[in-house]
Amino acid sequence: MNNVDDPVDPLSVTAERASNGLLEAPAKIAAHNLNFYYGESRALKDIELVIKEKRVTALIGPSGCGKSTLLRIFNRMYAIYPKQRAEGQVLLDGENVLDARYPVNRLRTKVGMVFQKPVPFPMSIYDNVAYALRHYEKLTRRQMDERVEEALKSAALWREVKDKLSHSALGLSGGQQQRLCVARAVALKPEVLLLDEPTSALDPISTASIEQLIDDLKADYTVLIVTHNMQQAARVSEFTGFMFLGELIEFGVTSDIFTHPTNAKTEAYITGRFG
Amino acid sequence: MTRWQRRQFTDYVAKALGVVATAFGLFWLAWILWTTVSKGLPALKWGLVTQMTPPPGADGGLLNAFVGSAVMCGLAVLIGTPIGIGAGTYLSEYARHTKLGAAIRFINDILLSAPSIVIGLFVYELMVRPMGHFSAWAGAVALAFIVLPVVVRTTDEMLQLVPTTMREAALALGVPQWKIIRQVLYRAALSGIVTGILLALARISGETAPVLFTALNNQYLTSSLNEPTANVPVVIFQYALSPYEFWHALAWAGAFVVTMLVLVLGLTSRWLIARGKMTNE
Repeated sequence: MNNVDDPVDPLSVTAERASNGLLEAPAKIAAHNLNFYYGESRALKDIELVIKEKRVTALIGPSGCGKSTLLRIFNRMYAIYPKQRAEGQVLLDGENVLDARYPVNRLRTKVGMVFQKPVPFPMSIYDNVAYALRHYEKLTRRQMDERVEEALKSAALWREVKDKLSHSALGLSGGQQQRLCVARAVALKPEVLLLDEPTSALDPISTASIEQLIDDLKADYTVLIVTHNMQQAARVSEFTGFMFLGELIEFGVTSDIFTHPTNAKTEAYITGRFG
Repeated sequence: MTRWQRRQFTDYVAKALGVVATAFGLFWLAWILWTTVSKGLPALKWGLVTQMTPPPGADGGLLNAFVGSAVMCGLAVLIGTPIGIGAGTYLSEYARHTKLGAAIRFINDILLSAPSIVIGLFVYELMVRPMGHFSAWAGAVALAFIVLPVVVRTTDEMLQLVPTTMREAALALGVPQWKIIRQVLYRAALSGIVTGILLALARISGETAPVLFTALNNQYLTSSLNEPTANVPVVIFQYALSPYEFWHALAWAGAFVVTMLVLVLGLTSRWLIARGKMTNE
Protein backbone atom coordinates (compact mmCIF):
# COMPACT_ATOMS: atom_id res chain seq x y z
CA MET A 1 0.00 0.00 0.00
CA ASN A 2 2.14 2.80 -1.27
CA ASN A 3 -0.28 5.61 -0.70
CA VAL A 4 -0.55 4.98 3.02
CA ASP A 5 3.04 6.03 3.48
CA ASP A 6 2.88 8.69 0.84
CA PRO A 7 3.63 11.96 2.67
CA VAL A 8 1.46 14.15 0.42
CA ASP A 9 -1.60 12.00 0.93
CA PRO A 10 -3.53 13.61 3.76
CA LEU A 11 -5.22 10.36 4.60
CA SER A 12 -3.79 8.75 7.66
CA VAL A 13 -5.21 5.33 8.02
CA THR A 14 -4.04 1.98 9.19
CA ALA A 15 -2.89 -0.63 6.75
CA GLU A 16 -5.78 -2.96 7.59
CA ARG A 17 -8.26 -0.18 6.66
CA ALA A 18 -6.49 0.50 3.44
CA SER A 19 -6.73 -3.14 2.49
CA ASN A 20 -10.49 -3.01 1.99
CA GLY A 21 -9.98 -0.98 -1.16
CA LEU A 22 -11.36 2.33 -0.02
CA LEU A 23 -8.18 4.19 -0.70
CA GLU A 24 -7.65 2.81 -4.16
CA ALA A 25 -10.40 4.97 -5.61
CA PRO A 26 -8.88 7.73 -7.71
CA ALA A 27 -9.03 11.32 -6.46
CA LYS A 28 -11.87 13.40 -7.92
CA ILE A 29 -11.27 16.68 -6.17
CA ALA A 30 -8.10 17.89 -4.52
CA ALA A 31 -7.93 21.11 -2.52
CA HIS A 32 -4.48 22.46 -2.05
CA ASN A 33 -3.38 25.35 0.12
CA LEU A 34 -6.95 26.59 0.11
CA ASN A 35 -7.82 29.78 1.98
CA PHE A 36 -11.12 31.61 2.05
CA TYR A 37 -12.03 35.14 3.03
CA TYR A 38 -15.26 36.91 3.90
CA GLY A 39 -14.05 40.44 3.28
CA GLU A 40 -11.08 40.70 5.62
CA SER A 41 -11.85 37.77 7.81
CA ARG A 42 -10.22 34.48 7.01
CA ALA A 43 -12.74 31.68 7.21
CA LEU A 44 -10.68 28.75 5.93
CA LYS A 45 -7.03 28.14 6.70
CA ASP A 46 -4.71 26.20 4.43
CA ILE A 47 -7.11 23.39 3.64
CA GLU A 48 -5.55 20.24 2.15
CA LEU A 49 -8.11 17.71 1.10
CA VAL A 50 -8.57 14.85 -1.34
CA ILE A 51 -12.07 13.67 -2.26
CA LYS A 52 -12.18 10.17 -3.69
CA GLU A 53 -14.20 9.41 -6.79
CA LYS A 54 -17.60 7.71 -6.32
CA ARG A 55 -17.32 7.73 -2.57
CA VAL A 56 -19.31 9.58 0.03
CA THR A 57 -17.26 12.07 1.99
CA ALA A 58 -18.74 13.83 5.01
CA LEU A 59 -17.62 17.10 6.54
CA ILE A 60 -18.50 17.49 10.20
CA GLY A 61 -17.77 20.10 12.82
CA PRO A 62 -19.49 22.65 15.05
CA SER A 63 -21.49 25.57 13.64
CA GLY A 64 -19.33 28.21 12.03
CA CYS A 65 -16.36 25.91 11.54
CA GLY A 66 -16.34 26.52 7.79
CA LYS A 67 -17.72 23.24 6.48
CA SER A 68 -20.44 24.88 4.38
CA THR A 69 -18.00 27.54 3.29
CA LEU A 70 -15.67 24.83 2.05
CA LEU A 71 -18.49 23.05 0.23
CA ARG A 72 -19.54 26.25 -1.53
CA ILE A 73 -16.06 26.67 -2.95
CA PHE A 74 -16.30 23.48 -4.99
CA ASN A 75 -18.94 24.92 -7.31
CA ARG A 76 -17.82 28.52 -6.84
CA MET A 77 -21.14 29.38 -5.27
CA TYR A 78 -19.36 31.99 -3.16
CA ALA A 79 -18.54 33.93 -6.32
CA ILE A 80 -22.01 35.46 -6.50
CA TYR A 81 -21.12 37.53 -3.43
CA PRO A 82 -18.63 40.24 -4.29
CA LYS A 83 -16.84 40.31 -0.92
CA GLN A 84 -16.04 36.62 -0.78
CA ARG A 85 -12.92 35.15 -2.29
CA ALA A 86 -10.98 31.91 -2.33
CA GLU A 87 -7.23 31.52 -2.73
CA GLY A 88 -5.29 28.39 -3.52
CA GLN A 89 -6.20 25.47 -5.71
CA VAL A 90 -9.18 23.21 -6.13
CA LEU A 91 -8.43 20.59 -8.73
CA LEU A 92 -11.34 18.83 -10.36
CA ASP A 93 -9.88 16.02 -12.46
CA GLY A 94 -6.62 17.93 -12.39
CA GLU A 95 -7.99 21.28 -13.55
CA ASN A 96 -8.01 24.23 -11.19
CA VAL A 97 -11.62 25.31 -10.97
CA LEU A 98 -10.79 28.46 -9.02
CA ASP A 99 -9.04 29.79 -12.09
CA ALA A 100 -11.21 32.59 -13.48
CA ARG A 101 -10.70 31.08 -16.93
CA TYR A 102 -12.54 27.94 -15.84
CA PRO A 103 -16.13 28.69 -16.95
CA VAL A 104 -18.28 28.77 -13.85
CA ASN A 105 -21.36 27.38 -15.57
CA ARG A 106 -19.41 24.41 -16.93
CA LEU A 107 -18.18 23.80 -13.39
CA ARG A 108 -21.72 23.87 -12.06
CA THR A 109 -22.94 21.33 -14.59
CA LYS A 110 -20.19 18.99 -13.39
CA VAL A 111 -20.65 19.77 -9.71
CA GLY A 112 -24.29 19.79 -8.65
CA MET A 113 -25.55 21.04 -5.33
CA VAL A 114 -28.46 20.43 -2.98
CA PHE A 115 -29.11 22.96 -0.25
CA GLN A 116 -30.19 22.84 3.35
CA LYS A 117 -33.73 24.02 2.69
CA PRO A 118 -35.59 22.46 -0.20
CA VAL A 119 -36.12 25.15 -2.84
CA PRO A 120 -38.45 23.95 -5.57
CA PHE A 121 -38.91 26.47 -8.36
CA PRO A 122 -42.45 27.82 -8.73
CA MET A 123 -43.27 25.58 -11.69
CA SER A 124 -44.41 22.02 -12.32
CA ILE A 125 -42.54 18.98 -11.03
CA TYR A 126 -41.59 18.10 -14.60
CA ASP A 127 -40.33 21.60 -15.37
CA ASN A 128 -38.26 21.68 -12.20
CA VAL A 129 -36.31 18.65 -13.35
CA ALA A 130 -36.21 19.71 -17.00
CA TYR A 131 -35.22 23.27 -16.20
CA ALA A 132 -31.46 23.07 -16.57
CA LEU A 133 -31.67 20.36 -19.23
CA ARG A 134 -33.59 22.71 -21.49
CA HIS A 135 -30.80 25.20 -21.19
CA TYR A 136 -27.98 22.79 -21.93
CA GLU A 137 -29.29 20.15 -24.24
CA LYS A 138 -31.46 20.15 -27.34
CA LEU A 139 -33.69 17.20 -26.65
CA THR A 140 -36.82 15.95 -28.33
CA ARG A 141 -39.94 15.76 -26.27
CA ARG A 142 -39.46 12.03 -25.83
CA GLN A 143 -35.79 12.24 -24.88
CA MET A 144 -36.70 14.92 -22.36
CA ASP A 145 -39.42 12.71 -20.87
CA GLU A 146 -36.89 9.92 -20.52
CA ARG A 147 -34.29 12.13 -18.86
CA VAL A 148 -36.82 13.53 -16.41
CA GLU A 149 -38.00 10.05 -15.53
CA GLU A 150 -34.45 8.83 -15.11
CA ALA A 151 -33.58 11.75 -12.82
CA LEU A 152 -36.70 11.29 -10.72
CA LYS A 153 -35.96 7.58 -10.45
CA SER A 154 -32.42 8.14 -9.28
CA ALA A 155 -33.79 10.54 -6.68
CA ALA A 156 -36.26 7.85 -5.56
CA LEU A 157 -39.19 10.12 -6.28
CA TRP A 158 -40.58 8.69 -9.50
CA ARG A 159 -43.16 6.38 -7.97
CA GLU A 160 -44.65 9.16 -5.88
CA VAL A 161 -44.94 11.79 -8.59
CA LYS A 162 -45.26 9.96 -11.90
CA ASP A 163 -49.00 10.65 -12.09
CA LYS A 164 -48.75 14.32 -11.23
CA LEU A 165 -45.74 15.57 -13.15
CA SER A 166 -47.66 18.61 -14.33
CA HIS A 167 -48.64 19.61 -10.79
CA SER A 168 -46.88 22.44 -9.04
CA ALA A 169 -43.76 21.35 -7.18
CA LEU A 170 -44.81 23.60 -4.32
CA GLY A 171 -47.48 21.07 -3.38
CA LEU A 172 -44.96 18.35 -2.49
CA SER A 173 -43.99 17.57 1.10
CA GLY A 174 -40.66 18.80 2.44
CA GLY A 175 -38.97 15.44 1.98
CA GLN A 176 -40.33 15.10 -1.54
CA GLN A 177 -39.23 18.63 -2.37
CA GLN A 178 -35.72 17.83 -1.22
CA ARG A 179 -35.63 14.70 -3.37
CA LEU A 180 -36.93 16.82 -6.23
CA CYS A 181 -33.94 19.09 -5.68
CA VAL A 182 -31.70 16.03 -5.90
CA ALA A 183 -33.46 15.00 -9.13
CA ARG A 184 -32.99 18.51 -10.50
CA ALA A 185 -29.30 18.34 -9.71
CA VAL A 186 -28.73 14.85 -11.14
CA ALA A 187 -30.75 15.53 -14.31
CA LEU A 188 -27.70 17.25 -15.75
CA LYS A 189 -25.63 14.13 -15.02
CA PRO A 190 -23.01 15.89 -12.95
CA GLU A 191 -19.93 14.08 -11.68
CA VAL A 192 -19.96 15.46 -8.16
CA LEU A 193 -22.88 16.16 -5.83
CA LEU A 194 -22.51 18.64 -3.01
CA LEU A 195 -25.07 18.23 -0.23
CA ASP A 196 -25.24 21.08 2.26
CA GLU A 197 -27.00 19.71 5.35
CA PRO A 198 -29.63 18.19 3.08
CA THR A 199 -31.73 16.70 5.86
CA SER A 200 -31.57 19.35 8.57
CA ALA A 201 -34.98 20.73 7.59
CA LEU A 202 -36.61 17.31 7.27
CA ASP A 203 -38.45 14.89 9.52
CA PRO A 204 -36.84 11.53 10.47
CA ILE A 205 -38.65 9.50 7.80
CA SER A 206 -37.69 11.90 5.01
CA THR A 207 -34.17 11.93 6.43
CA ALA A 208 -33.99 8.16 6.21
CA SER A 209 -35.10 8.25 2.59
CA ILE A 210 -32.50 10.87 1.70
CA GLU A 211 -29.80 8.82 3.43
CA GLN A 212 -30.85 5.74 1.52
CA LEU A 213 -30.70 7.85 -1.60
CA ILE A 214 -27.16 9.01 -0.85
CA ASP A 215 -26.16 5.38 -0.58
CA ASP A 216 -27.61 4.69 -4.04
CA LEU A 217 -26.11 7.81 -5.58
CA LYS A 218 -22.51 6.90 -4.87
CA ALA A 219 -22.61 4.28 -7.58
CA ASP A 220 -22.59 7.11 -10.12
CA TYR A 221 -21.53 10.23 -8.28
CA THR A 222 -18.84 11.53 -6.03
CA VAL A 223 -20.82 12.77 -3.05
CA LEU A 224 -19.68 15.39 -0.57
CA ILE A 225 -22.02 16.02 2.33
CA VAL A 226 -21.91 18.61 5.05
CA THR A 227 -23.77 17.60 8.16
CA HIS A 228 -23.94 18.66 11.77
CA ASN A 229 -25.33 15.26 12.61
CA MET A 230 -22.47 12.92 13.48
CA GLN A 231 -24.60 9.80 13.36
CA GLN A 232 -25.56 10.74 9.84
CA ALA A 233 -21.92 11.14 8.85
CA ALA A 234 -21.17 7.73 10.36
CA ARG A 235 -24.12 6.15 8.56
CA VAL A 236 -23.66 7.51 5.06
CA SER A 237 -20.02 8.30 4.51
CA GLU A 238 -16.86 6.40 3.77
CA PHE A 239 -14.58 9.31 4.49
CA THR A 240 -15.01 11.99 7.10
CA GLY A 241 -13.30 15.29 7.66
CA PHE A 242 -13.55 17.09 10.97
CA MET A 243 -13.34 20.86 10.79
CA PHE A 244 -12.87 23.36 13.55
CA LEU A 245 -12.42 27.13 13.39
CA GLY A 246 -11.68 27.12 9.68
CA GLU A 247 -9.17 24.30 9.77
CA LEU A 248 -9.46 20.74 8.60
CA ILE A 249 -8.34 19.10 11.80
CA GLU A 250 -8.52 15.50 10.78
CA PHE A 251 -9.48 13.57 7.69
CA GLY A 252 -9.73 9.86 7.16
CA VAL A 253 -11.81 6.77 6.74
CA THR A 254 -15.08 7.30 8.59
CA SER A 255 -14.80 4.30 10.87
CA ASP A 256 -11.33 5.40 11.93
CA ILE A 257 -12.42 8.94 12.66
CA PHE A 258 -15.24 7.68 14.81
CA THR A 259 -13.48 4.82 16.57
CA HIS A 260 -9.93 6.00 17.06
CA PRO A 261 -9.41 9.61 16.06
CA THR A 262 -5.82 10.73 16.27
CA ASN A 263 -6.55 14.33 17.20
CA ALA A 264 -7.72 15.26 20.69
CA LYS A 265 -10.16 17.87 19.33
CA THR A 266 -11.77 15.37 17.01
CA GLU A 267 -12.20 12.97 19.86
CA ALA A 268 -13.67 15.66 22.07
CA TYR A 269 -16.16 16.61 19.35
CA ILE A 270 -17.32 13.14 18.42
CA THR A 271 -17.70 12.13 22.04
CA GLY A 272 -19.93 15.16 22.51
CA ARG A 273 -17.74 17.23 24.76
CA PHE A 274 -18.29 20.36 22.64
CA GLY A 275 -20.01 21.55 19.53
CA MET B 1 -51.81 56.57 41.58
CA THR B 2 -49.42 53.68 41.57
CA ARG B 3 -47.01 53.24 38.74
CA TRP B 4 -48.97 50.28 37.49
CA GLN B 5 -52.20 52.27 37.41
CA ARG B 6 -50.44 55.09 35.60
CA ARG B 7 -49.24 52.67 32.95
CA GLN B 8 -52.71 51.22 32.59
CA PHE B 9 -54.11 54.70 32.20
CA THR B 10 -51.52 55.66 29.57
CA ASP B 11 -52.28 52.47 27.71
CA TYR B 12 -55.99 53.22 27.83
CA VAL B 13 -55.52 56.78 26.54
CA ALA B 14 -53.23 55.62 23.72
CA LYS B 15 -55.73 52.98 22.67
CA ALA B 16 -58.60 55.45 22.77
CA LEU B 17 -56.67 57.97 20.65
CA GLY B 18 -55.87 55.25 18.16
CA VAL B 19 -59.52 54.26 17.86
CA VAL B 20 -60.60 57.91 17.47
CA ALA B 21 -57.98 58.53 14.77
CA THR B 22 -59.06 55.42 12.86
CA ALA B 23 -62.73 56.35 13.15
CA PHE B 24 -61.95 59.88 11.98
CA GLY B 25 -60.19 58.61 8.88
CA LEU B 26 -62.84 56.01 8.10
CA PHE B 27 -65.63 58.52 8.60
CA TRP B 28 -64.51 60.70 5.70
CA LEU B 29 -63.82 57.71 3.51
CA ALA B 30 -67.30 56.36 4.22
CA TRP B 31 -68.80 59.75 3.51
CA ILE B 32 -66.99 60.04 0.17
CA LEU B 33 -68.09 56.55 -0.79
CA TRP B 34 -71.64 57.20 0.31
CA THR B 35 -71.87 60.46 -1.67
CA THR B 36 -70.43 58.78 -4.75
CA VAL B 37 -72.82 55.86 -4.49
CA SER B 38 -75.94 57.86 -3.58
CA LYS B 39 -75.43 60.41 -6.35
CA GLY B 40 -73.78 58.13 -8.89
CA LEU B 41 -76.02 55.10 -8.69
CA PRO B 42 -79.25 56.91 -9.68
CA ALA B 43 -77.38 58.54 -12.56
CA LEU B 44 -76.40 55.19 -14.07
CA LYS B 45 -78.22 54.39 -17.29
CA TRP B 46 -77.65 52.33 -20.36
CA GLY B 47 -77.02 55.44 -22.47
CA LEU B 48 -73.85 56.03 -20.49
CA VAL B 49 -71.96 53.52 -22.61
CA THR B 50 -73.78 54.06 -25.92
CA GLN B 51 -73.88 57.84 -26.26
CA MET B 52 -71.26 60.58 -26.54
CA THR B 53 -70.85 63.39 -24.09
CA PRO B 54 -73.67 65.80 -24.89
CA PRO B 55 -73.59 69.52 -25.63
CA PRO B 56 -75.58 71.70 -23.26
CA GLY B 57 -79.25 70.91 -23.45
CA ALA B 58 -79.03 67.50 -25.12
CA ASP B 59 -79.07 64.00 -23.65
CA GLY B 60 -75.94 61.90 -23.77
CA GLY B 61 -73.54 59.49 -22.13
CA LEU B 62 -69.85 59.05 -21.50
CA LEU B 63 -68.88 56.60 -24.23
CA ASN B 64 -66.11 58.74 -25.72
CA ALA B 65 -64.71 59.45 -22.26
CA PHE B 66 -64.68 55.78 -21.26
CA VAL B 67 -63.01 54.76 -24.51
CA GLY B 68 -60.48 57.59 -24.33
CA SER B 69 -59.58 56.77 -20.73
CA ALA B 70 -59.28 53.08 -21.48
CA VAL B 71 -57.03 53.73 -24.48
CA MET B 72 -54.77 56.15 -22.63
CA CYS B 73 -54.56 54.07 -19.46
CA GLY B 74 -53.86 50.98 -21.52
CA LEU B 75 -51.12 52.70 -23.49
CA ALA B 76 -49.66 54.14 -20.29
CA VAL B 77 -49.44 50.67 -18.75
CA LEU B 78 -47.96 49.30 -21.98
CA ILE B 79 -45.29 52.01 -21.97
CA GLY B 80 -44.62 52.12 -18.23
CA THR B 81 -44.64 48.43 -17.37
CA PRO B 82 -41.73 47.07 -19.45
CA ILE B 83 -39.50 49.98 -18.51
CA GLY B 84 -40.56 49.71 -14.88
CA ILE B 85 -40.00 45.97 -14.69
CA GLY B 86 -36.62 46.37 -16.36
CA ALA B 87 -35.53 49.08 -13.94
CA GLY B 88 -36.92 47.21 -10.92
CA THR B 89 -35.06 44.09 -12.00
CA TYR B 90 -31.84 46.05 -12.35
CA LEU B 91 -32.27 47.50 -8.87
CA SER B 92 -33.03 44.18 -7.23
CA GLU B 93 -30.74 41.81 -9.10
CA TYR B 94 -27.79 43.88 -10.25
CA ALA B 95 -27.61 46.95 -8.02
CA ARG B 96 -29.07 45.76 -4.74
CA HIS B 97 -26.37 46.90 -2.37
CA THR B 98 -24.69 49.48 -4.56
CA LYS B 99 -24.58 53.25 -4.10
CA LEU B 100 -25.96 53.73 -7.61
CA GLY B 101 -28.89 51.50 -6.74
CA ALA B 102 -29.61 53.46 -3.58
CA ALA B 103 -29.49 56.72 -5.54
CA ILE B 104 -31.87 55.40 -8.20
CA ARG B 105 -34.26 54.15 -5.54
CA PHE B 106 -34.24 57.57 -3.90
CA ILE B 107 -34.95 59.37 -7.18
CA ASN B 108 -37.66 56.87 -8.02
CA ASP B 109 -39.32 57.58 -4.68
CA ILE B 110 -39.31 61.28 -5.53
CA LEU B 111 -40.94 60.53 -8.87
CA LEU B 112 -43.42 58.34 -7.02
CA SER B 113 -44.62 61.27 -4.96
CA ALA B 114 -44.24 63.95 -7.62
CA PRO B 115 -47.39 66.10 -7.90
CA SER B 116 -49.28 64.88 -10.95
CA ILE B 117 -49.84 68.44 -12.15
CA VAL B 118 -46.08 68.81 -12.50
CA ILE B 119 -46.01 65.69 -14.62
CA GLY B 120 -48.87 67.11 -16.72
CA LEU B 121 -47.02 70.38 -17.31
CA PHE B 122 -43.80 68.53 -18.06
CA VAL B 123 -45.41 66.40 -20.77
CA TYR B 124 -47.19 69.52 -22.07
CA GLU B 125 -43.77 71.08 -22.66
CA LEU B 126 -42.30 67.80 -23.86
CA MET B 127 -44.96 66.78 -26.36
CA VAL B 128 -48.01 69.05 -26.65
CA ARG B 129 -46.10 72.25 -27.45
CA PRO B 130 -43.70 70.72 -30.00
CA MET B 131 -46.54 68.79 -31.66
CA GLY B 132 -48.83 71.79 -31.60
CA HIS B 133 -51.91 69.98 -30.32
CA PHE B 134 -53.26 67.86 -27.51
CA SER B 135 -53.27 64.12 -28.11
CA ALA B 136 -53.93 60.70 -26.63
CA TRP B 137 -50.22 59.96 -27.02
CA ALA B 138 -49.31 62.87 -24.78
CA GLY B 139 -51.94 61.76 -22.26
CA ALA B 140 -50.63 58.22 -22.28
CA VAL B 141 -47.03 59.38 -21.80
CA ALA B 142 -48.03 61.61 -18.87
CA LEU B 143 -49.85 58.69 -17.24
CA ALA B 144 -46.91 56.39 -17.99
CA PHE B 145 -44.73 58.70 -15.87
CA ILE B 146 -47.06 57.89 -12.98
CA VAL B 147 -47.11 54.16 -13.72
CA LEU B 148 -43.33 53.91 -14.02
CA PRO B 149 -42.20 54.57 -10.42
CA VAL B 150 -44.96 52.37 -8.98
CA VAL B 151 -43.90 49.43 -11.16
CA VAL B 152 -40.20 50.04 -10.47
CA ARG B 153 -40.81 50.03 -6.75
CA THR B 154 -43.03 46.95 -6.61
CA THR B 155 -40.84 44.94 -8.99
CA ASP B 156 -37.77 45.80 -6.94
CA GLU B 157 -39.46 44.91 -3.66
CA MET B 158 -41.16 41.76 -4.87
CA LEU B 159 -37.94 40.41 -6.41
CA GLN B 160 -36.08 41.17 -3.20
CA LEU B 161 -38.65 39.06 -1.35
CA VAL B 162 -37.71 36.00 -3.42
CA PRO B 163 -35.40 34.08 -1.10
CA THR B 164 -31.70 34.11 -1.90
CA THR B 165 -31.75 30.34 -1.59
CA MET B 166 -33.85 30.16 -4.76
CA ARG B 167 -31.29 32.23 -6.69
CA GLU B 168 -28.50 30.02 -5.36
CA ALA B 169 -30.38 26.83 -6.21
CA ALA B 170 -30.90 28.05 -9.77
CA LEU B 171 -27.35 29.35 -10.19
CA ALA B 172 -26.02 26.04 -8.85
CA LEU B 173 -27.51 24.40 -11.95
CA GLY B 174 -25.16 26.41 -14.12
CA VAL B 175 -27.91 28.43 -15.75
CA PRO B 176 -26.97 32.03 -16.55
CA GLN B 177 -28.40 34.79 -14.38
CA TRP B 178 -30.53 36.51 -17.01
CA LYS B 179 -32.32 33.26 -17.72
CA ILE B 180 -32.90 32.63 -14.04
CA ILE B 181 -34.38 36.09 -13.61
CA ARG B 182 -36.77 35.53 -16.49
CA GLN B 183 -37.75 31.94 -15.85
CA VAL B 184 -37.54 31.51 -12.09
CA LEU B 185 -37.53 34.83 -10.27
CA TYR B 186 -40.26 36.52 -12.33
CA ARG B 187 -42.41 33.50 -11.81
CA ALA B 188 -41.83 33.56 -8.07
CA ALA B 189 -42.58 37.29 -7.88
CA LEU B 190 -45.35 37.32 -10.47
CA SER B 191 -48.36 37.97 -8.25
CA GLY B 192 -46.57 40.86 -6.55
CA ILE B 193 -45.49 42.45 -9.81
CA VAL B 194 -48.96 42.13 -11.33
CA THR B 195 -50.37 43.67 -8.17
CA GLY B 196 -48.09 46.66 -8.65
CA ILE B 197 -49.30 47.10 -12.22
CA LEU B 198 -52.94 46.90 -11.11
CA LEU B 199 -52.37 49.47 -8.38
CA ALA B 200 -50.68 51.75 -10.90
CA LEU B 201 -53.67 51.31 -13.21
CA ALA B 202 -56.01 52.17 -10.34
CA ARG B 203 -53.98 55.25 -9.59
CA ILE B 204 -53.97 56.62 -13.15
CA SER B 205 -57.60 55.86 -13.91
CA GLY B 206 -58.62 58.80 -11.76
CA GLU B 207 -55.73 61.17 -12.47
CA THR B 208 -56.97 64.48 -13.86
CA ALA B 209 -54.11 66.93 -14.00
CA PRO B 210 -51.81 64.89 -16.30
CA VAL B 211 -54.54 64.37 -18.91
CA LEU B 212 -55.95 67.88 -18.58
CA PHE B 213 -52.68 69.30 -19.86
CA THR B 214 -52.02 66.64 -22.47
CA ALA B 215 -55.16 65.00 -23.88
CA LEU B 216 -57.62 67.72 -22.89
CA ASN B 217 -61.03 66.60 -24.08
CA ASN B 218 -63.08 65.77 -27.15
CA GLN B 219 -66.77 65.93 -27.81
CA TYR B 220 -66.62 62.81 -29.93
CA LEU B 221 -64.91 59.48 -30.26
CA THR B 222 -61.71 59.68 -32.20
CA SER B 223 -59.83 56.86 -33.82
CA SER B 224 -56.61 58.84 -34.00
CA LEU B 225 -54.14 58.89 -31.13
CA ASN B 226 -52.94 62.27 -32.40
CA GLU B 227 -56.11 64.16 -31.58
CA PRO B 228 -57.40 65.60 -28.34
CA THR B 229 -59.09 62.73 -26.55
CA ALA B 230 -61.99 62.58 -24.14
CA ASN B 231 -61.40 60.96 -20.77
CA VAL B 232 -63.42 60.39 -17.65
CA PRO B 233 -61.57 62.59 -15.13
CA VAL B 234 -61.56 65.71 -17.31
CA VAL B 235 -65.22 65.20 -18.23
CA ILE B 236 -66.07 64.89 -14.54
CA PHE B 237 -64.11 68.06 -13.88
CA GLN B 238 -65.88 70.04 -16.65
CA TYR B 239 -69.36 68.74 -16.03
CA ALA B 240 -69.18 69.11 -12.28
CA LEU B 241 -68.29 72.79 -12.68
CA SER B 242 -71.10 73.41 -15.18
CA PRO B 243 -74.45 74.93 -14.28
CA TYR B 244 -76.48 72.08 -15.84
CA GLU B 245 -78.20 69.48 -13.69
CA PHE B 246 -77.92 66.62 -16.21
CA TRP B 247 -74.21 67.31 -16.66
CA HIS B 248 -73.86 67.00 -12.91
CA ALA B 249 -75.60 63.66 -13.07
CA LEU B 250 -73.19 62.46 -15.78
CA ALA B 251 -70.24 63.63 -13.67
CA TRP B 252 -71.53 61.64 -10.70
CA ALA B 253 -72.06 58.59 -12.87
CA GLY B 254 -68.47 58.88 -14.14
CA ALA B 255 -67.16 59.31 -10.60
CA PHE B 256 -69.11 56.26 -9.49
CA VAL B 257 -67.72 54.10 -12.30
CA VAL B 258 -64.11 55.20 -11.67
CA THR B 259 -64.46 54.60 -7.94
CA MET B 260 -65.85 51.12 -8.48
CA LEU B 261 -63.06 50.36 -10.95
CA VAL B 262 -60.46 51.40 -8.38
CA LEU B 263 -62.22 49.30 -5.77
CA VAL B 264 -62.25 46.24 -8.03
CA LEU B 265 -58.59 46.72 -8.93
CA GLY B 266 -57.71 47.05 -5.25
CA LEU B 267 -59.63 43.91 -4.34
CA THR B 268 -58.09 41.98 -7.23
CA SER B 269 -54.60 42.94 -6.15
CA ARG B 270 -55.30 41.92 -2.55
CA TRP B 271 -56.63 38.60 -3.77
CA LEU B 272 -53.51 38.13 -5.91
CA ILE B 273 -51.25 38.84 -2.95
CA ALA B 274 -53.14 36.38 -0.75
CA ARG B 275 -52.93 33.74 -3.46
CA GLY B 276 -49.22 34.43 -3.99
CA LYS B 277 -48.58 33.98 -0.27
CA MET B 278 -50.35 30.67 -0.26
CA THR B 279 -48.36 29.25 -3.13
CA ASN B 280 -45.08 30.42 -1.65
CA GLU B 281 -45.59 28.51 1.55
